[in-house]
Amino acid sequence: VTDLRARQPKAIHSALTVLEEVARVGAGVTAKEISENLGLARATAYRLLNLLVQDEYLVRMPDLKGFALGRKVAELVGRVAPSRPPQAAREIMMQLRENSRGGIHLVRYDAASLRVIDIDPDFPLSDEARIIRELDSSAMGLLLLAELVLTGQRPRTSFRPAEAALEEILETTNRLGFASVAGRDEGLGCLSVPIRDSQGVLVAGLCYSGPRTRIDSPAALVEVLTSSGRALAPLLA
Amino acid sequence: MSALERAVSHPSPVEGLGARSPVAGLRRRSIGFLDVLSQSVSAVAPSAAATTIPLMVAAVAGKSSVLAVAAAMILCLLVASTVNQFARRMSAAGSLYTFVSKGLGAGASFVAGLAMVIGYGFIAMFSLAGAGFYLATLASHFWPGASESGLLVSLLVALMGLLTFFVLARGVRLSTRVTLLVETGSVGIILVLISALLTRQGPQLDWGLIVPRDTDLGDFVIGAVLAITAFVGFESAASLGVEARRPFANIPRAIFGTVVASGLLYIVATYSQLVGFSFLGRSIDSSSSPVNDLATAYGVEWAGLLLDASIAASFLACALASGTALVRVLFSMGREGLLPASFGSTHSRFSTPFFAILVAVPILTAVPVVAIALGSGVRGAMAFLIVTAAAAFVTAYILVCAAVPVFLWRIGELTVWPVARAVAAALLLSGALITYLLAESGTEYSSGVVAFLLLMSLGTLTYAAWTKRHPRRRHTIGLYDEPTGADVLGGIHDPSEVR
Repeated sequence: VTDLRARQPKAIHSALTVLEEVARVGAGVTAKEISENLGLARATAYRLLNLLVQDEYLVRMPDLKGFALGRKVAELVGRVAPSRPPQAAREIMMQLRENSRGGIHLVRYDAASLRVIDIDPDFPLSDEARIIRELDSSAMGLLLLAELVLTGQRPRTSFRPAEAALEEILETTNRLGFASVAGRDEGLGCLSVPIRDSQGVLVAGLCYSGPRTRIDSPAALVEVLTSSGRALAPLLA
Repeated sequence: MSALERAVSHPSPVEGLGARSPVAGLRRRSIGFLDVLSQSVSAVAPSAAATTIPLMVAAVAGKSSVLAVAAAMILCLLVASTVNQFARRMSAAGSLYTFVSKGLGAGASFVAGLAMVIGYGFIAMFSLAGAGFYLATLASHFWPGASESGLLVSLLVALMGLLTFFVLARGVRLSTRVTLLVETGSVGIILVLISALLTRQGPQLDWGLIVPRDTDLGDFVIGAVLAITAFVGFESAASLGVEARRPFANIPRAIFGTVVASGLLYIVATYSQLVGFSFLGRSIDSSSSPVNDLATAYGVEWAGLLLDASIAASFLACALASGTALVRVLFSMGREGLLPASFGSTHSRFSTPFFAILVAVPILTAVPVVAIALGSGVRGAMAFLIVTAAAAFVTAYILVCAAVPVFLWRIGELTVWPVARAVAAALLLSGALITYLLAESGTEYSSGVVAFLLLMSLGTLTYAAWTKRHPRRRHTIGLYDEPTGADVLGGIHDPSEVR
């Protein structure tokens, strides 16, 4: 710890950012990925990681490359109850699900990450970890990426800015006001509409996942989701 | 903190972690920083070295001895910081043997392991012989001539061997506590003696000893290389990686701290002994036991008694620490199938590598007893043992330094300075090893050099034959204390499941 003393407040900030990044990307993230995602100098990132391993907030995986959150992190953060959306919001979600012919999920956005706060019990998400980790893999992630691009922020993800195709997709998303993605399984896909607060800040997303037919001609679906989203906005903002 | 909060409240499952560490059986995460520190300090045996090494160094380097000791310290700091590249990232009972496997693969790892077994084994024998000899010297204060009796020394060595067996078997905690007490006491006595000496001397510094004018480079280098032998063993805290609490913090700190503390002690001890003799108008190499002679000359003869007791204690501590590290290397080799599986077993109650202790300690005791009985003289036997051990340690250090760049590259954490330090250390140590072997083969202790070369080549040939018979077994080399599901969030939900 001694070599960090001079810049301690900054170091603590960076250490927490590193923990946050490991939490966001998930177990197995490497030192190189962390330094690149956070824009930290490599030597600094490696030193921080080794300090966090020393204090057992992080654990080195058996390949010695990857990192995972240590059990001690639970002491740092405390047992946080899952943030369930309020009852009024859950009722809107139930109504929406009654005749949706697919899964309806609610996600929340903060800063540069998303978390799924209400998963459709009848159509659970296929791979929640991937949705959180790879923002360009789902409609809910694309909404966040498009927003970050719009506000000129650097997305901290596996997002590869060189990919022209992705840039185009994000532009389309911003133009249309919703995002859609074809699923890995044939004939499935997902579509998300944004939920914004009164200042227009993206706070949540309402997502449909199911048969592609409803996504290929989205007008009706977007209409339903947008109107429910408007009702949800004051409850979530 | 959102992603963190989510990770805590709904940990996503982490794959690829077992329920048990490959080195389960040792008492995991049970000892604190002081225990780890005392392991390294005792293996170095600074008080025994501070009374013997200055004489050895001064015999070749003369007035540049202080500088030679300082140079050795800097080289050992380079090695320590390189070993710590591993110690910060993995905890292994096999210490350098296991570390090397992560950089240079099974073959180099075996050579390093063999070197560590020889190094720790010979240092342990050296120390048992030393403990017996100095206890006999202590006895001769009351019964003149006692130290001349080979039978008495042999008996005392056997007794110390028995004690070592019980302390090692009983558990690492007992052995480190005993050694800490013993070593603190003996370093304290040395410091009292040094301050007594320097107080009589007056406050002025003799700059001619600190910045010598006419230094012969060759003599200086050989002096520095000899001084390295005073540091070997500093890395042995790494062998407690599995048993230490917060190992990635405590072990590097113990390794680095040991080199700094013992290095400073040696510098002060060398300076004060040189000053002491030049004040008397004598040369330090005219004396066979300089600190005792100084104590007598300065009228503190009673200190000689204390000194013999403290050196005997320091040797015993060194035997305990070297034995502790040795049996853990053997334990790792047993777990990997390189040695019979019994070596990898642990005592059900004491959680120590009992079988390895049962095999190793009697050998460590018998060799010096037989050597003394054969009439080679205790001092001759000790000099032979230390030459072999020192060469073996330096070999293992070279390999671990060479392994660091590859290891860091493999895990994607390569940066400039650690690599620069590792390369510098590897090159300097290689030069040191060659210088040392050449210098020693010209002395009466050349049998130590022969023993080193013979043991290393015999061991390597055996290994080559072994890999031919079990081509797949070599992939098991490099077992270390991998994290278990209980260590990470989302590994195993209830840690009590694995207990």
